[in-house]
Amino acid sequence: MDEELLELQRQFEFAQQAKSSIRLSERNVVELVQKLQQLRIIDFDLLHTTSGKEYITPEQLRKEIVAEIKKLGRVSLIDLADITGVDLYHVEKQAEHIVSSDSTLMLTNGEIISNSYWDTVAEEINERLQESSQIVLAEIAAQLQVGSELLVSVLEPRLGTLVKGRLEGGQLYTPAYVARVNAMVRGAARGVFVPMNLSALWRSLQGLLQEIDGASGVAVEGSFFQSLFHGLVKDGEVLGSLRAGVHWTPSIFAMAQKECVDSFFSQNSYINYEGIHKLGIPQPVQFLQSRYPEGIPLVTLFAHPSIVDMLDASAEDAIERGSWMDSLSVLPASIGLQDASKVLSLCPSVQMAVKSNKAIILGESYVFSSGFIKNLFDHLEKEIETLNLPVFASSVTDSFHASKDPSVRHDTMTDSNETGTGKQAVDKGSKKKKGKFAGSTKMEAADIDADYQESAPTKSKKNQKKGKVATSSQVSDSKLGPKKEIDRMKEDSHSVVSEEWLIQKIMSQIPDLEEQGLDDTETILVPLASYLRPMLLNSLKERRKAAFTQNVQRMKQVLDNLQRKVDESFLNIQLYEKALDLFEDDPSTSVLLHKYLLRSTATSVVDNLLLDLDMHNKLKNGIEVEDPQKAESVSLSPGDRATIAKSFPGPLSVKALALVEALEAKRVETFMTALRAIAEESGLMLKKLDKKLERTLLHSYRKDLMSQISAETDPISLLPKVVSLLYVQIHGRALQAPGRAISIAVSRLKEKLDDPAFKVLVDYQAATVSLLALMSGATTNDEDCASDRILSKRELLENLMPALKGLVLGTSQP
Amino acid sequence: MEGWDPTTKSTLTQIPLLTTKAGPRDGAAWTQRLKEEYKALIAYTSMNKSNDNDWFRISAANPEGTRWTGKCWYVHNLLKYEFDLQFDIPVTYPATAPELELPQLDGKTHKMYRGGKICLTVHFKPLWAKNCPRFGIAHALCLGLAPWLAAEIPILVDSGMIKHKDDAASSSEV
Repeated sequence: MDEELLELQRQFEFAQQAKSSIRLSERNVVELVQKLQQLRIIDFDLLHTTSGKEYITPEQLRKEIVAEIKKLGRVSLIDLADITGVDLYHVEKQAEHIVSSDSTLMLTNGEIISNSYWDTVAEEINERLQESSQIVLAEIAAQLQVGSELLVSVLEPRLGTLVKGRLEGGQLYTPAYVARVNAMVRGAARGVFVPMNLSALWRSLQGLLQEIDGASGVAVEGSFFQSLFHGLVKDGEVLGSLRAGVHWTPSIFAMAQKECVDSFFSQNSYINYEGIHKLGIPQPVQFLQSRYPEGIPLVTLFAHPSIVDMLDASAEDAIERGSWMDSLSVLPASIGLQDASKVLSLCPSVQMAVKSNKAIILGESYVFSSGFIKNLFDHLEKEIETLNLPVFASSVTDSFHASKDPSVRHDTMTDSNETGTGKQAVDKGSKKKKGKFAGSTKMEAADIDADYQESAPTKSKKNQKKGKVATSSQVSDSKLGPKKEIDRMKEDSHSVVSEEWLIQKIMSQIPDLEEQGLDDTETILVPLASYLRPMLLNSLKERRKAAFTQNVQRMKQVLDNLQRKVDESFLNIQLYEKALDLFEDDPSTSVLLHKYLLRSTATSVVDNLLLDLDMHNKLKNGIEVEDPQKAESVSLSPGDRATIAKSFPGPLSVKALALVEALEAKRVETFMTALRAIAEESGLMLKKLDKKLERTLLHSYRKDLMSQISAETDPISLLPKVVSLLYVQIHGRALQAPGRAISIAVSRLKEKLDDPAFKVLVDYQAATVSLLALMSGATTNDEDCASDRILSKRELLENLMPALKGLVLGTSQP
Repeated sequence: MEGWDPTTKSTLTQIPLLTTKAGPRDGAAWTQRLKEEYKALIAYTSMNKSNDNDWFRISAANPEGTRWTGKCWYVHNLLKYEFDLQFDIPVTYPATAPELELPQLDGKTHKMYRGGKICLTVHFKPLWAKNCPRFGIAHALCLGLAPWLAAEIPILVDSGMIKHKDDAASSSEV
């Protein structure tokens, strides 16, 4: 037996003798604990782990939690529940207890975080910040898995101590970085000389920063720039003013702007809003009004009162001199029409003058003194006067054209009316180019006779009406006529005194105005013309009225005159006509006599009638007829007669034409009927020949003839007179016979006269005939011989004359 | 190793294995073997004690260590039933397992050979043969006697074949 074996034996023995440890089953232990609790030996909350195999006291749990917190300084409650193996509910409860009892701890978002943790975090952040000079808080927050707000609240007290940096807009910056960016902002702000939107500036700065920092660079918020900028502005490092937070106007710019405005305004006494806009001032009126309270805001510019004074002075001058002035020419060139008129309205002298009717403003910018206007008006009035006469003188020939074709005449008439009204519309409305153009194109058609000779067709129409009125009432002058006439006259004058015409006249009157109106007549000439036109028309109307009343008297006179003349000649014709009956059986002689009668007496009747009617017509239209007496001696050619006849209105013209035609024909009867017709048409009375009248007429005729015969010395012209007297004596008829008809007339007297008397007559007649034959032949034959013969014949005739005279006078002078 | 409950198995694995293959007639080798046997037994016993599972006392009855005597017990219904335990180390040991004897229970159960030698399960012999020479006395006790006691004693007690010594005393007294 060796020692070792014995030793082992002893050991085994010892091991077997050793007390065995006592073990309780879980169930037993649970029961035991319950028993203890029942017995109140354990008088506190006993927690058990989630596995259900362990009991834990709250204190132990707390201890464990605190231990866990101390490990990292930050622990999630869920993690705690896992670590301690205790239900989350209890962990939360205990955690709350711990946090409330320890001020250095905080419970956020199910996490317990100690101050020390934040300190370490702050240190870390600081390290990183010093490395990269800027950190986005959100990035840190994401890394730490905490809310950035919490992070900010935690970081703020540590800024400047643990974290050496600056928190700006969710980013951390080191002072160096801030200083750098600040320098950038300062540089940029100082470099800006014009107003600028700051956000644009910040954008460019951001781009610059990103370039500098490369890809690692964090986008710098505009608000960071903005706050730096505000700081700079506050410190007075950059000068300027900030509007709406983003519009930066450097003071240097504002100064330059003001200086610019000041210098321009003081130099020119006005300034354009447009120019101010260019200078970058958005609301020029307010800006200027605040700077120059005495200035005058106009539509496109801002004017100093001196402008008004200047204009006022020149306007006053123009008004006093009785002249005119264009404010545009006085004012600086950049002042427009609108503004000019506004400035003009501000001139005290102009206001006064306009109020007291001393001046008038036309075409917005022109000032005319009333004296000037009056002058011009007088000139134009005279122009119109001179214009009127040629118009009406030519109206005769024009009416010839017009009445040729009634439809054409009607057309021109309506045309002229239209142009008249059209022009009026143009006058009234704004002087639009289009309207004016339309008017002028219409004018083209009617221009030829519309403006100057327009009156003719309307007149003829008027006369036609007038004629109708006259026939119906059998009064030479109706009361209705004048009224209508005046209306018509108005229309006429409207077209006569057209604006174009006025403008032309004004231009010729005042060449200065022409210069003004050359580029654009509308500026002044049109308004001036339209201003003057109604006045001119008025005066024209007045004058016409006056002329008309004057003419009425003369018309009466003319008509009376005519009546008298026509009466006389008509009776004569009737008288002579009766004598023609004696030759009815001899057609050839009758024709001859008819023709002679028509050519001699009837022609003068017709001429008188036509001329007087024409004059009457003119008077009725208010046209001056200078000397009606002159017309009496005038003898008209057939063409003239026709022209005059055509110049008459309507039916009168027709009748007159018929008369003229009858005059050319061979029958006195047709002429008589035509004469009656025209007399009736023109309101004349034709007296019928009665016995008594005929006798007195014949008597006077005979006396006349007898005195003529007794005074007659020419043997040739004696014969017809003697024959006529013989006819009167024998037949009681007044015969007007041409030379050719004398022989027949003489032969007809054969039965009525006694033989010696007849012989004397025949001899005388034969001698006269031979004398006449000789005289006519003398032109071709030998002159000496012929003249001798003529002389001898004449002597013979002169010898016979007393016998012949005696033949007639003897019988008549018993 | 199937056939044994998990507790037995875990216990078995914790018992140190032996290395020396020697029987009682091998002289110094046996002594070596005996030393190993003791070490295993000490480990097993201390293990049992620490687990509050102490259930036997044995000691070598002769200096050669070929005969061992002692006691074993089992707690059933809070009563401790204690029996004598004896066995000899066979000459062919360790190839042959020792025959454990509970002389007090001889004839009381048919799970026993004559002379009180317990009948082991069919699994014991192959396991032992397989683990020769690594298994020793401690293993034999652990694998053989412990399961037998746990299986047989409750039946024996319930059938009234064995009585608690207090009851037996009181009944004998009565």
